[in-house]
Amino acid sequence: MRLSAFVLFALATTLPATAAFAQSAGEVERCFQNPAACHQGGGGAPAAPPAAPPVTVTRPAHPAAPAPDYATVLQGSEADRKKIQESLRTLDKYSGPIDGNLQSDSTQKAIGEWQKGRGTPPVGKLTPQEAQQLNAEASRAPIRRIEPPTQTATPTPLSPSAPSNADALKSLQARLAERRKAAEPKAEAASQALIRDLKAYVAADGKGIAGEQFSAFAKWYADNKSAGRTIGDITPVIDDYGDAKAGSAVSSEINFQTRQGDASFGQCLVFAWIEGNPRKNPQVFSCDDVAAVEKWKTDQSLRSAWR
Amino acid sequence: MHRLLAVVLLAAAAVAPTVLAQPASQSPHGKAERRDPVFLRFPEMAERYWVNTETNAASHKVIAIPLPRQCAFVYADSYSRGQMSESEVQQVALSNCNRKLAELGPLGENYNVDCRCQVVISNETYVVPRNVMPDASYGPVSIFYRDDRGNVARLNGVARYGALIGRDRSVTFNVENQRGESVCEGTFTNEAPGSGRFSLSCFAGKFSGNGGYQSKMGAPNDHVLARGQTGRGLPIVMVIGLPAQLALNTYGGI
Repeated sequence: MRLSAFVLFALATTLPATAAFAQSAGEVERCFQNPAACHQGGGGAPAAPPAAPPVTVTRPAHPAAPAPDYATVLQGSEADRKKIQESLRTLDKYSGPIDGNLQSDSTQKAIGEWQKGRGTPPVGKLTPQEAQQLNAEASRAPIRRIEPPTQTATPTPLSPSAPSNADALKSLQARLAERRKAAEPKAEAASQALIRDLKAYVAADGKGIAGEQFSAFAKWYADNKSAGRTIGDITPVIDDYGDAKAGSAVSSEINFQTRQGDASFGQCLVFAWIEGNPRKNPQVFSCDDVAAVEKWKTDQSLRSAWR
Repeated sequence: MHRLLAVVLLAAAAVAPTVLAQPASQSPHGKAERRDPVFLRFPEMAERYWVNTETNAASHKVIAIPLPRQCAFVYADSYSRGQMSESEVQQVALSNCNRKLAELGPLGENYNVDCRCQVVISNETYVVPRNVMPDASYGPVSIFYRDDRGNVARLNGVARYGALIGRDRSVTFNVENQRGESVCEGTFTNEAPGSGRFSLSCFAGKFSGNGGYQSKMGAPNDHVLARGQTGRGLPIVMVIGLPAQLALNTYGGI
């Protein structure tokens, strides 16, 4: 009896302290309902009563075995998180942006590699002790940073503050645009060659290499013809372009203006192929069969230079 | 007298949808295009509307969706059969849209707006102003997670994403609470058709999650299911495209 009273007393004195560190559903709900107050309050006691009571689907607490503390590092200050990325970079494990995002794929991979190198499980997250050890190891290492080629094109600003997400996005968009610009002449040439073949096929009323290579297109043309529709303008929009295992892969959305009597309406097909003479692995999809188009690209191991 | 009143009410009820939907020929709102956001958002509908030879050549083709734009996570497309008039096809689309919306259940926990179905495209022509149409993809969102104390909690709101999940390599999304305040941001990264990885960050990273996602097509409604762990290593499930109660009943047991 005395023992149980002691346990209750111990619980009563311990729980509030634990709760102060815990991220409860109530706190998250408060932030969700009033993000502005949350930013100001930093997740502490609410400045004002929440708009609605916390929506908690109560389940009995599941006591779990004590897990490693990864939260402290993840929720550390931005400077601390950037320091970890700097350390990873110093140790040649990381070549991504120093943005403080320890949950990005590249950062987690780098942490995992570092953990693997020291014989611990590569979980991709750090305990406070590990973070300390990582920084200490980096401080002992000679500084020799090798910037990846993609980053040399867009040098990091000299200002002490790291680029914002918006700047990082802008920089990424600029790099993508550059890559796409370089690929554009080849992609356009490939697409226009297809348009020529398609037009020739229509002009010859269903004869030519476009139908021989793209059998689904030949069937589509025959269906339209039997339904009394004629084909008018044929216009392309390049959907994707890049290197694949068998050569340069192209996927192009082709819009066919079809006419039946007085009515005119557009129909859309995606043509996908590997460049060559003849074209290799040619396929035709409905423009909406996104899954099939993406699967074709995956099957070809397409590394996009377009998106 | 009562019979007369009943006839008048019946007639009014039958005429009301016709008043709501404008014939395409009189609409000043312009032609619809295959690549418009509404068709990118609902690819199966676009297939019927623009490609499928059995439906796209129908004499009347109508699309109804719930508005305002953040409600547009369901749709109904209808095609004329036999001698159906444009107005009749519009009524069928409107009725199907309303039925779907009702079947999925109440949206009150996600939205602070009144979602109502409306005919938006008729015979490849917009019959509502273009600026009321959704310019991105929207859907009710529910986030279920286990907190530090082992309780399962949920957050409900509306998600908006700027492109077509499953097609572009990487799609960013944000979550707004019922008051329309942006509370979370995240990314879907496509790894295979209709599936990949997701990450979520709310209130400047105070609450976060990451894991895998899958686009699920078909009944009860097309939706995205994301499962993973919170920043604290506890389970999290995010559902986009199902109203809160339906999402809870289907995926709330984490």
